Amino acid sequence: MNKFVRTAFLLLFALLYVTPTTVIAQDEERNYGDIDVIAKLGDRYYIEFEPLPKLYLPRILISEGFHFFGSTKSAMNSGLFQDQFYVENPQAFVAGESGPVTYKLVRTDGTPVTLDLSISKHILWFWLAGFLTLFIFGRMARKYEAGIGRETAPKGAGMNFAEVLIVYLRDEVVKANIGEEKYMKFAPYLLSCFFMILFMNLFGLAPWGQTPTSDISVTAALAITTFFMVNLNGTKDYWKHVFAMPGIPKFMLIIMIPVEVLGLFTKPFALAVRLFANMLSGKMLILSMLGMIFVFAGLYGAGLGLASALLWVPFTLFIYALKVFAAFLQAYIFTMFSALFIGMALEDHSHHDEHHHAETAAAH
Amino acid sequence: MNPVLANALLNFEPGIVIWIGITFVIFLLALRKFAWGPVLAALEKREKSIQESLDSAEKAMKRAEEISRNNDEALRKAEVEAQRLRKEAKEEAEKIRVDIIEKSRSEAEAVKQQILATIEQEKQKAMLELRSHVAELALEAASKILNAELDEKRNKKLVDDFIDGISKN
Repeated sequence: MNKFVRTAFLLLFALLYVTPTTVIAQDEERNYGDIDVIAKLGDRYYIEFEPLPKLYLPRILISEGFHFFGSTKSAMNSGLFQDQFYVENPQAFVAGESGPVTYKLVRTDGTPVTLDLSISKHILWFWLAGFLTLFIFGRMARKYEAGIGRETAPKGAGMNFAEVLIVYLRDEVVKANIGEEKYMKFAPYLLSCFFMILFMNLFGLAPWGQTPTSDISVTAALAITTFFMVNLNGTKDYWKHVFAMPGIPKFMLIIMIPVEVLGLFTKPFALAVRLFANMLSGKMLILSMLGMIFVFAGLYGAGLGLASALLWVPFTLFIYALKVFAAFLQAYIFTMFSALFIGMALEDHSHHDEHHHAETAAAH
Repeated sequence: MNPVLANALLNFEPGIVIWIGITFVIFLLALRKFAWGPVLAALEKREKSIQESLDSAEKAMKRAEEISRNNDEALRKAEVEAQRLRKEAKEEAEKIRVDIIEKSRSEAEAVKQQILATIEQEKQKAMLELRSHVAELALEAASKILNAELDEKRNKKLVDDFIDGISKN
């Protein structure tokens, strides 16, 4: 296997040096189908289950009043708004014919809208994750209320597996960081975070699925929630650490206060970017790997493209398995850091040195 | 690739943040009420009951151990007591035995003394009787033999002297 992979690799790279101009010339006329990779990765205002036609989502725009359109195209045809792509490339626009390209709507004169409150694909998948969590664990809760698992042992693989995760998170994440007394207040938030993020991460691995967590807006919203959970529950000691760090000379506060205030915002920022970048890069890698098949087909003809699939598909499967692991890991990391930040905000007595070390370690 | 298109991946859409933020809070509240609340409460309750039964089992075990230890101690005490009683009884019995022997010995001695005294008495009595009898007999015999040749008074004196001589010797 090893030998085969190496040989295949060498062969492929050797081919890259032989500029196959003639083949490209021959293939120029052929169309291998258009795959909009960015549309698969980024947010769009339609949902698509191929080969079913796209279902366009309504646009809700606030710009000098409230505007509601059934779809992006009808917003473009209204004459009030235009896709940003056509604003920059007006020659490409054919009224009534051209469809949306970037789906980013601006006013026809090119000024951006005040607020775009449209329901996007990622919002829908986010809701799906929420309802799925609610459905699975709501059912589980009803089972517990009926007595199964409360007085007796839990029944069934699903209940047992879910319980393993819940108990692990409760003991190792929530209780370990927040403490025995207050854990009941924050466990629901952190458990919701973990399972919703996990489901969102895993959606992207399913056929037709989308990963809302690969969108910076979604992860930002999640991180902002954590930011509020942390700072609304901060104790006196926590704020004292921010605005009057004990144990350092007074004049140093001039430097320390801005740094600490900045630290309040970098923590959720790091949370959002970590989750978003991990999820997006994984998906991008998978699509790029599979895209290589089409690149090879374009360069050397369909036959070699198909042959190279023998190499790219196993690679993709490997990345895919890695992504399944990363889906769990990133959900865990987000939950873990949220718990850590909340725990730090709740800390009552000041262990100044320990506290500060934990903070800097977490920020990295 | 169109740079505008690629840029879309890093777009920060405030509208999406607002939607997700609002709906996330709603989901959180719903999940807390319908899912995590009951689940966590049930887990807590089960763990508590398990802990309680473990604790009570341990308590019962401790009590059983204590009881068995007490029993052992009582048994050992009883054994010691029994031993002590046996020893005491043995000593008592020995004492009684010695006493009885002593008593019977002294009683026997008294009886012996009494018997000896009686024997002595009887002997004296017999001796007296015998003496008188012998004197009579001798007198009778002598008188019979001598046929009153002699004076009875003188004879009797003779015989008495004779007998006195015998008894004194």
